Amino acid sequence: MSDEIRQDAPMEEKGMQEGSTDSEPKKAQLTNAELELLADEMGASGIGEVKRIGYFSLIGRRFVRQRSAMTGLVILALLALLAIFGPHIAPFTYTDPDFTALNVPPNATHWFGTDGGGFDLFASVVHGLGRSLAIGLIYSILTTIIAAVVGTSIAYVRGIPEKIGMWLLDMLLIIPSFLLVAMVVRAASGTQGWAMLIVGLTAFGWIGYARTLRTMALSLRERDYVRAAKYMGVSPLKTIVRHLIPNLGSILILDTVLGVIGGINSETAYSFLGLGIKAPDTSLGYLLSQGSSAMLSAPWIVLIPSVVLIVLCVSMQLIGDGLRDALDPYSRAAGSVEDDADEDDSSN
Amino acid sequence: MARFVGYIAKRVLSYMVMIFVATSLTYFLASAFMSPRSNYESRTPRPPQESIEASLNATNLNDKTPILERYKTWLGNIATHWDWGKTPTGSSVNEEMSSRLAASVQLMTLATVISIVVGVSLGVYTAQRQYQWQDRFFGGMASLFMVVPTVVLAILIVFFAIEVNQLAGTRLFYVTGLSSYDGTNPFMALLDFLQHILLPTVVLTIISSVGYHLGQRTYLLDEMHADYVRTARAKGLTRKQAIRKHALRASLIPTAVSVAFSIAGIFTGAVMTEKIFAIHGLGEYFINCINNNNIHGAVAVAAFSGACTLVGALLADLFAAALDPRIKMS
Amino acid sequence: MAEMANESTRGSWVPQDQILSYELLEGNGPKGAPEGDPIMSVRNLKVSFATEAGRVDAVRGVNFDLWRGRTLGIVGESGSGKSVTALSLIGLLDDNARVAGSVKFDGEELVGKSDEEMAAFRGKSISMIFQDPLSALTPMFTIGEQLAETLLIHNPQMTKQEQRARCIELLRMVGITNPEDRLDAYPHEFSGGMRQRVVIAIAIANDPDVIIADEPTTALDVTIQAQILDVLAVAQRETGAAVVLITHDLGVIAGTADDVLVMYAGCAVERSSIDTVFARPSQPYTMGLLGAVPKPHMAAEHRLVPIKGNPPSLAAIPKGCPFSPRCPMASGKCFEVEPSLEPIDASEGHLVSCHKLAEIRDRHLSFQEVYPELEPLPAKWAEVPRDQRPVVLEVKDLVKTFPVQGKGLIRRERGTMTAVDHVSFRLHEGETLALVGESGSGKSTTLMQIMDLVKPEHGSITVLGRNTADLRNNRERREVRKDLQVIFQDPMSSLDPRMPIYDVLAEPLRAQKWSSKDINSRIGELMHLVGINPDYVDRFPSQFSGGQRQRIAIARALATRPKVLLLDEPIASLDVSIQAGIINLLEDLQVQLKISYLFVAHDLAVIRHISDSVAVMHLGKIVEQGDTEEVFTNPQDPYTKALLSAIPIPDPKVERSRERLVYQHGKLVSSSSLLPSLGK
Repeated sequence: MSDEIRQDAPMEEKGMQEGSTDSEPKKAQLTNAELELLADEMGASGIGEVKRIGYFSLIGRRFVRQRSAMTGLVILALLALLAIFGPHIAPFTYTDPDFTALNVPPNATHWFGTDGGGFDLFASVVHGLGRSLAIGLIYSILTTIIAAVVGTSIAYVRGIPEKIGMWLLDMLLIIPSFLLVAMVVRAASGTQGWAMLIVGLTAFGWIGYARTLRTMALSLRERDYVRAAKYMGVSPLKTIVRHLIPNLGSILILDTVLGVIGGINSETAYSFLGLGIKAPDTSLGYLLSQGSSAMLSAPWIVLIPSVVLIVLCVSMQLIGDGLRDALDPYSRAAGSVEDDADEDDSSN
Repeated sequence: MARFVGYIAKRVLSYMVMIFVATSLTYFLASAFMSPRSNYESRTPRPPQESIEASLNATNLNDKTPILERYKTWLGNIATHWDWGKTPTGSSVNEEMSSRLAASVQLMTLATVISIVVGVSLGVYTAQRQYQWQDRFFGGMASLFMVVPTVVLAILIVFFAIEVNQLAGTRLFYVTGLSSYDGTNPFMALLDFLQHILLPTVVLTIISSVGYHLGQRTYLLDEMHADYVRTARAKGLTRKQAIRKHALRASLIPTAVSVAFSIAGIFTGAVMTEKIFAIHGLGEYFINCINNNNIHGAVAVAAFSGACTLVGALLADLFAAALDPRIKMS
Repeated sequence: MAEMANESTRGSWVPQDQILSYELLEGNGPKGAPEGDPIMSVRNLKVSFATEAGRVDAVRGVNFDLWRGRTLGIVGESGSGKSVTALSLIGLLDDNARVAGSVKFDGEELVGKSDEEMAAFRGKSISMIFQDPLSALTPMFTIGEQLAETLLIHNPQMTKQEQRARCIELLRMVGITNPEDRLDAYPHEFSGGMRQRVVIAIAIANDPDVIIADEPTTALDVTIQAQILDVLAVAQRETGAAVVLITHDLGVIAGTADDVLVMYAGCAVERSSIDTVFARPSQPYTMGLLGAVPKPHMAAEHRLVPIKGNPPSLAAIPKGCPFSPRCPMASGKCFEVEPSLEPIDASEGHLVSCHKLAEIRDRHLSFQEVYPELEPLPAKWAEVPRDQRPVVLEVKDLVKTFPVQGKGLIRRERGTMTAVDHVSFRLHEGETLALVGESGSGKSTTLMQIMDLVKPEHGSITVLGRNTADLRNNRERREVRKDLQVIFQDPMSSLDPRMPIYDVLAEPLRAQKWSSKDINSRIGELMHLVGINPDYVDRFPSQFSGGQRQRIAIARALATRPKVLLLDEPIASLDVSIQAGIINLLEDLQVQLKISYLFVAHDLAVIRHISDSVAVMHLGKIVEQGDTEEVFTNPQDPYTKALLSAIPIPDPKVERSRERLVYQHGKLVSSSSLLPSLGK
């Protein structure tokens, strides 16, 4: 079999050149494949001049082009820097109260003021910001991974396992996850609370998401390339990892970004209710619950964490929107591959 | 028709199985994680041991009784008397829930109706003006409200209301509870109720109308580009007429489905809003149950909200079937 | 309404230019030359779209006139600008379109009118029939409501009774039986063909002067297509309207059009009356297009001659003549200056845009001279008669049933549907067997049953001597899969968009546990084998054209050196000029590699060209089976006869003289007897 290929397939470079310049009868013996290769050399295939550009650099380029998305990214970067280096530049720590300054408004010593216990609000906010970011990121990444694996697997297996999987997901969905998370976190200690909060949020946060991803994978599993993989003898696990999950990739990336907001929101809610992060640890939600009782006498305690939360969430949202436009082939941020390359050339 | 009833019966039955499993699971988890015993042990002065055991036994919350035995008693009471058990303080979960249910319904009904109306109208309005400044403005607002934590939103609104009250020198807005008027004048009672309900309603409306707005906008945009809208325009309808007569109708189906789900949500209340505005509804009760190790209360609320979710799902199916001729009842 | 136009304004709006004068000269068709004033005049129509990629010029200066009672066929491949032209006549382009030039309807300029102003014309004077009948009707409203709406917009005074009567009349006109009952049905209760009839009824409801039909039969089966074309003819006769028929199918044009406009890259490249263009195509592209299609009414003696390369993207139209990179005659000037339409002979209206026109005219060049014919590769093993070669695939008494579920809320099973009903056939080494049938005939299901490699419900499948019922696990199946591969219809969906070509081709080899060194060298071989430059291995599928993607899909299927290839409509989604290349490639590969093909298709012309034997499927059963030539020249089964008679033939003279046969309730009837009686 392979011998036959070697006899017929290789082209003779000379014959090709001849064939392209004049119309010798020799041409009649060329196979269609050889003719096509000839046409390609002459530029008739229409792709000869295309510059190769990777998927991710393309997305990156589309993303960078959007001003609002870049603004979001810069704000987020600043907030992240503040969360990382803030504790080192702050003159106080969130654990040591300054008894000489109780309930003072923002001033030169206490940049964000202090609360009723004399705790420096800047130190607390910076620490809480770090907590929020960490919880949001870890939660979001973990839930995305679990949901992607479970959702696509349920979609791919079909038949009775699919039915059982769906039933279980539905069943888990009707138990209020709020209750379950609260119970798990309540059992934890004050310093371990934030880790347990991630565990609790993740353990019950992926379910609805897995359902959504399954629905999306349902249409993917009918694609011919998934069927082709099956008919080539590719194993189900490999098909899921190599075809289904990568083709949900843009959705997964986007949802990871937006999931961070979900994580931050949940942290705020649970901590505010006293079910999440508790003293001696502190977080933005915890600060809000402290401040809400002193709204009239010390409004800065509640206003400053609120502003930080809004800026944080909005910056993530801007990034998410920018990513959505960059990933959506039909959006206005899109251009064809070639044109992006052209544009890049001219701008450089 | 008979077939339809049979179908509904089958669905309801399978939902009941689902609720049963979910509720039982919640019961076991709650019993594992919550410790009503600590309620008594942490009292000062600490009650005598026998008294603790007696109280726990009386409420079927004693962790020294095997879990399956407690489960059996609990389940038996529900099955025979529809009795969902007792709180650690000995009061009846049924009674506590029913009084709080009323508060939740009062709060949620108005907010749900307003948010559907506002959200769907905004969705239709902005979809027809895609990429114009109106769409950008309301879209921007929606993105903002979508990501801002409810707590922050509610606190800022409360803060603002208090400032207004101080400026006005009188209490225009109340930020806690649902009523504070004890008189008999029905007009004054209504005014008082409105003053109380205004702010939580604003919070809830903002939060949930965002979903309807963005959803309706997407659905309508999808349908606007459907082939049949082009056919309608080819008949001689203007673009606006074609959208109003053809695309809008189709785009309302998925919205109706989500409305069906939210109808059920009226009864379960809103956890954060109730907590912040000190409205004693089911949502707040739920938090209290968790904080007070009220296993039976928490499980009952969970079961109730599960049931509401499934009723919502059933309603959603019926709505879709009623509106979409492609889905036939028989 | 055209008749009402004032005599004095009449003459003045009609542009007395060369375009019109040439058109009036052309009468080489069934209806002779056009007479009187045109109802619509299109002059220098240009449409461009503002996209982020820059300006896309979809239509670049198109001219034509329409006369009542005549049909203009606009032919072109995807991206030729034919659909955009159609939409600009009725003002239904997207908002980002910029239209320039002039479209005059009965003296009134339509370009520049607002949506509201155009709405008065749409559905009343100008109406449109769209490609996909399944999505063209609003699912929420009944057929009656949608028809009545059309009437009511333009005749608000109509009473309910009048509307109803007219709706019934219209439905009867388009051949819908029991129109009284059907008025209350929803679109989803109708088949595709029936829905297209309703769309036509809507289009003719207000007696329009111009009907634009944009690929009206492309989404339909061939027997349904024949019926819809008949209905369209009735609609034209009833309304006396001018029809613009847009299609890529030369057979459809041959039977229906009076005049033809061939479009390429947004421009008209040839214009003439119907018989002229088929008898003397004079632009190399038109020649190629006509030459590249397999002829369903002739035996396949010659190898098809494809047009090399791919149609240009409208965002990057080649310099000079847009066809020059693909044209066998192109030289010098062709690459520099774009030609314009010129008459081939001053006394005729046959217009051609080509720099080589003089040469073509003087030397009477035809397709054979312009596109040198290629001899088929000799098969080294052809001397062994097919039926004496070993059997590589045997299907015996195969049955596949599906549970039929009620649509909608209550999904209860309503018995079973037999998709494949006792199907048996044998495939020999190096043979091509075609399974032909319309949608729902069970041909693709049969193919998937074979690919699944499991024990069938009933009967047996034997691949290279191994019965699928004996395959116990996936490892054993994988061994068989090495020798049995499949190619799908749509190369867009059969290649994972996230994988570079290298990984696409490596996937079957990795599944067969090849070493990475072997995989590497095999991929180079494969790229050569199917005619893709091996330097392109790290590109993604989206960077290739449809034809190239199908070549890649073929390369992937060949990767493990299979002995049997199942092809599920492998060329159905490709442009006409690309199809021939893929057919040739498949023929070459069979000769080179001695593969057997099981070829599933609905296109009878392609099947006649490529296959050695044919099995005709209808409702899950094979109704006729035999050597290709035997089946095509002497069909026995009535369904086969009806199917063969429904294929449009790219030859206007043959097409006009044919009597179609329709298969109804197991009997054959003449299609003319089925047309609605037109008593007025």
